[in-house]
Amino acid sequence: MDLKTLTEAFGPSGCEQEVRALLKEAAQALCDDVSIDRAGNLVCRRKGSDPMKPSVTFAAHMDEIGFIITGHTEDGLLRFRPVGGVDPRVVVSKWVLVGKERLRGVIGAMAIHLQTPADRERVLDYDNLFIDIGARDAKEAERLCPLGAYAVFDTPYTEFGEGFVAARALDDRVGCLNLLDILKSDYAGDLCCVFVTQEEVGLRGSRGAAFHLQPDIAIILEGTAANDLGDTPERFQVCVPGQGVAVSFMDRASIANQQLYQQLLQVAQEHGIPHQVKRAVTGGNDAASFQQAGKGARTCVLSVPCRYIHSGNNVAKLSDIKAQADLAIAFLHSL
Amino acid sequence: MLRDTLQTLLGAYGPTGQEHLVADKVRELLSGHVDSMRTDALGNLIVEKFGAEENAKTIMISAHMDHIGLVVTDIEKEGFLRVHAVGGISPRLVAARKVVFADGTPGIVALEPNTKGKKEPEMSDLFVDIGADSREEAEKLVSIGDVAVYAPDFTALGRHKVASPAMDNRCACALLVELLMYAEGQKNTIVGVFSTQEEVGLRGARVAAYAVEPDIGLALDVTAWGDTPQTKLPAVKLGAGPAVKIMDRSMIASPYVRDKLFEAAQAAGVAVQREVLAFGGTDGGAIQLSRGGVPTGTLSIPCRYVHSANEVIDLRDMEGALKVLLQFIELA
Amino acid sequence: MRTEDFLRDITAIRGLSGDEGPVADFVADAFRPYCDEVWVDQMHNVIARKKGGGPKVMFAAHLDEIGLMVVNIEEDGSLRLGQVGGVDPRILPGQRVWVYGKDRLLGIIGAKAPHLLSAEERSKNYQREDLYVDLGLPPQRVREQVQIGDQVQLEHRYTALQNGRVAVKTSDDRACVAMMFEALKQLQNLRHEADLYFVATAQEEVGTRGAITSAFALDPDFAVALDVCHADTPGAPAWRTHKLDSLVASMGPFIHPVLRGKLVEVAKEQNISLQTAVVPRSTFTDADGIGEARAGVPTVLLELPLKNMHTTVETLDSKNLREGGRLLAQFAVAVNEGWEDELWT
Repeated sequence: MDLKTLTEAFGPSGCEQEVRALLKEAAQALCDDVSIDRAGNLVCRRKGSDPMKPSVTFAAHMDEIGFIITGHTEDGLLRFRPVGGVDPRVVVSKWVLVGKERLRGVIGAMAIHLQTPADRERVLDYDNLFIDIGARDAKEAERLCPLGAYAVFDTPYTEFGEGFVAARALDDRVGCLNLLDILKSDYAGDLCCVFVTQEEVGLRGSRGAAFHLQPDIAIILEGTAANDLGDTPERFQVCVPGQGVAVSFMDRASIANQQLYQQLLQVAQEHGIPHQVKRAVTGGNDAASFQQAGKGARTCVLSVPCRYIHSGNNVAKLSDIKAQADLAIAFLHSL
Repeated sequence: MLRDTLQTLLGAYGPTGQEHLVADKVRELLSGHVDSMRTDALGNLIVEKFGAEENAKTIMISAHMDHIGLVVTDIEKEGFLRVHAVGGISPRLVAARKVVFADGTPGIVALEPNTKGKKEPEMSDLFVDIGADSREEAEKLVSIGDVAVYAPDFTALGRHKVASPAMDNRCACALLVELLMYAEGQKNTIVGVFSTQEEVGLRGARVAAYAVEPDIGLALDVTAWGDTPQTKLPAVKLGAGPAVKIMDRSMIASPYVRDKLFEAAQAAGVAVQREVLAFGGTDGGAIQLSRGGVPTGTLSIPCRYVHSANEVIDLRDMEGALKVLLQFIELA
Repeated sequence: MRTEDFLRDITAIRGLSGDEGPVADFVADAFRPYCDEVWVDQMHNVIARKKGGGPKVMFAAHLDEIGLMVVNIEEDGSLRLGQVGGVDPRILPGQRVWVYGKDRLLGIIGAKAPHLLSAEERSKNYQREDLYVDLGLPPQRVREQVQIGDQVQLEHRYTALQNGRVAVKTSDDRACVAMMFEALKQLQNLRHEADLYFVATAQEEVGTRGAITSAFALDPDFAVALDVCHADTPGAPAWRTHKLDSLVASMGPFIHPVLRGKLVEVAKEQNISLQTAVVPRSTFTDADGIGEARAGVPTVLLELPLKNMHTTVETLDSKNLREGGRLLAQFAVAVNEGWEDELWT
């Protein structure tokens, strides 16, 4: 499995089938116990040989931000809403794939020549944005893309600059890719890697997974927003691509277990794995579900810094993605 | 000397539409240094210096002589003058400044009290005080239609910089004068155009270019600056060398001329800057579109506070520009 | 080459206003087999002549494209942007671009993250000045590669939609260059009296500059300017837009009424449907520049409806390329000496 295949797979929250199928096939080659739970999470368990080692769970989410079709106009355009957080200002003049057939569509906007000064200032919101698949009328549009059809940005995976990648859904297919690597490791304790659904719409998949898995330790592999370029004051930059995997002490949804957090930093240091502390309390992720389900778990989040995280072009550095896997595996070995 | 030539030209009165006194100074300076001089219907001074080679190209190099000003539109009972802008002169920048008319009559530009809570003053809020106590007295000094310009005020700033009104564009005129003086046995024919009415829409250069029918066009002008507090664009600094224009509102420099300027700078060993200006224009815009089109570029002198009474340039940029131009007329 | 393939290929080629060299060469090569002579003038206008003994007719569609330009390089290596032609800043956040430094570099246009903006800032569009290009390179490498004034081109993708509709950048106005290409192909089997000049003009987007100089140089008897117009779009004023599926013949003071009548007549004979647009003053197309060349050139304007003009997803009906080409070819065949006498009747 490679990152290109994973990021080009279609999987907005609630429509993770394609990603799940890909991951399932890859995971089955790596471990015997692969199942899909009631929330659609893909659960991969590997029984350990040493009962003295703690049982560790790693989680990453399969879903991505996207869109869902909510209506059709007389002249054949599709009305839509975001699934997850997509700033309407990043969707104008972009390409999308829509529905089961993955039809090509574009999101247009009234030409600059026709705009009034007020139009130029006003953000085009989702009431005024449309997907154009080239249909002639509402009937044709509805037949091709019925209500409830999903859409995603159509973004090819492209490596650029010095070791950077631009792609859709790096948040959190990087985590998915690294879970597969973790399954390949030779950790002697019980290991579980869970690919969860519906993170982007409120950590919904992980809640179910956490409830039935009840791990001792849960480590979440994520993508997190980096704002290191342009006009952002340093204190709001959060993390910097190229400086390694970001280890969180706290975000808006959970506080890392102190001992686990320190242990992760120490392992990173000892093994010379590039890492940084996430310098802000922003975002929220599946760690909250694991921390609070049932009797609770010790959690910590390892993130790949990712620019423009809620747009069609996520940007991350390949070395940071590797560092995330390296730290997770080195941590296992340190137990 | 560049500095003396500059100072001479800065002292001449020459608002847009009445550039003849500047042209006279140029004629004096160039007398004996060029092959021909003529003045056309719009007052452009067109100077030729023939090239040495048989297949010499004709390079038209234009520097405008005109200077923004205030034209008198009314003389009030109390002796105060009301004015209208000639070219892009800003009410905010001209207020409280000393101006002079053609015959040297001085005046002080003043602003009415801001009673309407305006963010920016308008021309109609200004008046000129020439010390007259009545309309009759004022009319002895000034007539409706007379034009005032910022009073000459040449100030050396630090070791290399100078401030003066009309630096836009007498510094380029000085450069062109010096080029025509220094060029000797050069390959190509230089047609120096000391142009008129640039500040109101490149009017002089347009007709000059039609008449000259050059093979290559080059405008010399000032450009804006990006090296003072809270001013970042264009990314051009004073003292870092003349700027080769990539584009402005009037022209996208022809790649051929632009690249020849870079080549000339390299040959001259002069550092040049790259200028992208989101606004403004130069004579180059008019030359480029003349007849079937003329490959044209602009070499700029970075200038702070353009269109104010204290336009600041760095003499090192002028010296660098002269060296680049001397190479350019051989390479183009 | 199929005309659709011509459109797919030409829209990818760099040709920002003022530096159209690469796209001009492409057009010259594509037109050459169908013409008697082709040359590129110093403004990068491509002039393709198909000889005839009759009146001189100029067809013009512009080949330049809008784009961006590096105006500053920040300490962190991000690039600040100026524009060449009118680029809608709303299309930029999250867009991919090509930066033409020493090498061609892929960049992503970034903006300050929405959660770092105040509610008031969030309610407004990003301005070009707020945005930057991220090259994924360390600042030192950026400075080695990129200079102020380097060109920045928007991402090209040729997207075939349903019903023969196509979304691709720079359909404005290379779709009309494609129409001329189609006309040239059709003219191979037709006889014409007129002396035909198919001109792919430069610098239209910054003020029809290539049309001004090429019309002066060619001094045509009649001209047909080709450009795009706005197709129906949600929120747009109805009188400014037209249906996507047929061509538009404009009328107004800048359009010669008798010549327009001739064009409409040819369309009728050929069973090509035309919509009418009314343009009360400047057309903001090459028609303006050509019409005022020398002593004046009787000029008509044929327009191709386009959705989302000046975006990366300019959308058209590809059927119009063939219909437009056919109309141009048949118009070229119809032109004769007699028209001169009818001009002011």
